[in-house]
Amino acid sequence: MKKIDLELAVGLFIIAGILCLGYLSVKLGKMEIIGERGYEIYGVFSNIGGLKVGSSVEIAGVNVGRVKSIVLDDFQARVVLNFPKDLPIQEDAIASIKTRGLIGEKYIEITPGGSEKVIKPGDRIRETQPAIDMEELISKFVFGKI
Amino acid sequence: MSPTCLTRGILSLFLVGAMAVPLMAANPMEEIKQTTDKILSIVTNPALKAPSKTEEREKLIHQAVYERFDWEEMSRRSLATHWAKRTPEERKEFVCLFSELLERTYMKKVEGFSGEKVLYEGEAIERDYATVKVKIVTKRNKDIPVEYRLKKEGNNWFIYDVSIEGVSLVNNYRTQFNSILFQSSYEDLVKRLREKTEPK
Repeated sequence: MKKIDLELAVGLFIIAGILCLGYLSVKLGKMEIIGERGYEIYGVFSNIGGLKVGSSVEIAGVNVGRVKSIVLDDFQARVVLNFPKDLPIQEDAIASIKTRGLIGEKYIEITPGGSEKVIKPGDRIRETQPAIDMEELISKFVFGKI
Repeated sequence: MSPTCLTRGILSLFLVGAMAVPLMAANPMEEIKQTTDKILSIVTNPALKAPSKTEEREKLIHQAVYERFDWEEMSRRSLATHWAKRTPEERKEFVCLFSELLERTYMKKVEGFSGEKVLYEGEAIERDYATVKVKIVTKRNKDIPVEYRLKKEGNNWFIYDVSIEGVSLVNNYRTQFNSILFQSSYEDLVKRLREKTEPK
């Protein structure tokens, strides 16, 4: 009787451990198991300057979504963004690619607009601002003068 | 509403009337080109170079620029989330002040024109929206990429945003207005705009 109790306790403990591990890997890997939550919209940028899949999408500095995929389309970057369902994005919102600090990682900042129309799932966010290439800007100042 | 704003309103009404005449549906690049050429011809006109003619010159530039922009759309986009909270009168006043501010800021740049070349690189139209890409080549051979964003209204295209080196004008003002409106009030923003646009 006592032996079974011990084995049961160990078994439960192991199961709990596996569950914790599963939870951790889903959380840390930013995987989504039960389908996709929220909705997607896409934007076309002339230069994304090293933005990556999984980069964060922010409004007023608050992380609201993430970059779902990036593909090259007609030599421009087509970026799919994922937003929570209860967060409508206005039609005239601007998506701009920003850098954290001077040389930090890239993220997308959305500045909300004032339009009454909202972007429907799967539609395009028309107003985009490409990443500013610091190197190019500096070289313009350095080599600009002849 | 200040008297200049009032004449502006009348002027824009008149311009809308005048613009309704050409019925041909224009394409956005042509329209940008027309306006640019018009401004360049004013700026390079030797008869208007004299200091005594400055006022006349500014008036002509003002007219050329004024009819190509959709000021209300620009103001709405710049105020963004705060636009909905404003009454129609406040909106009208804001459109006036904002257009005056932009004019004041950029008139000097236009007047400082010295032989820059404008290259038209292409346009992309999607239903009622279009972007026109332009490259300005300075005398030192530096390229400045400029992107106009236009919206179709009736048969004409009107500019609602300009991006220079990828930095959008509307986004710039949107963040500035937003931070002012969070720190203080709308009245304060209007006061600041008034100070900036007051004739010196």
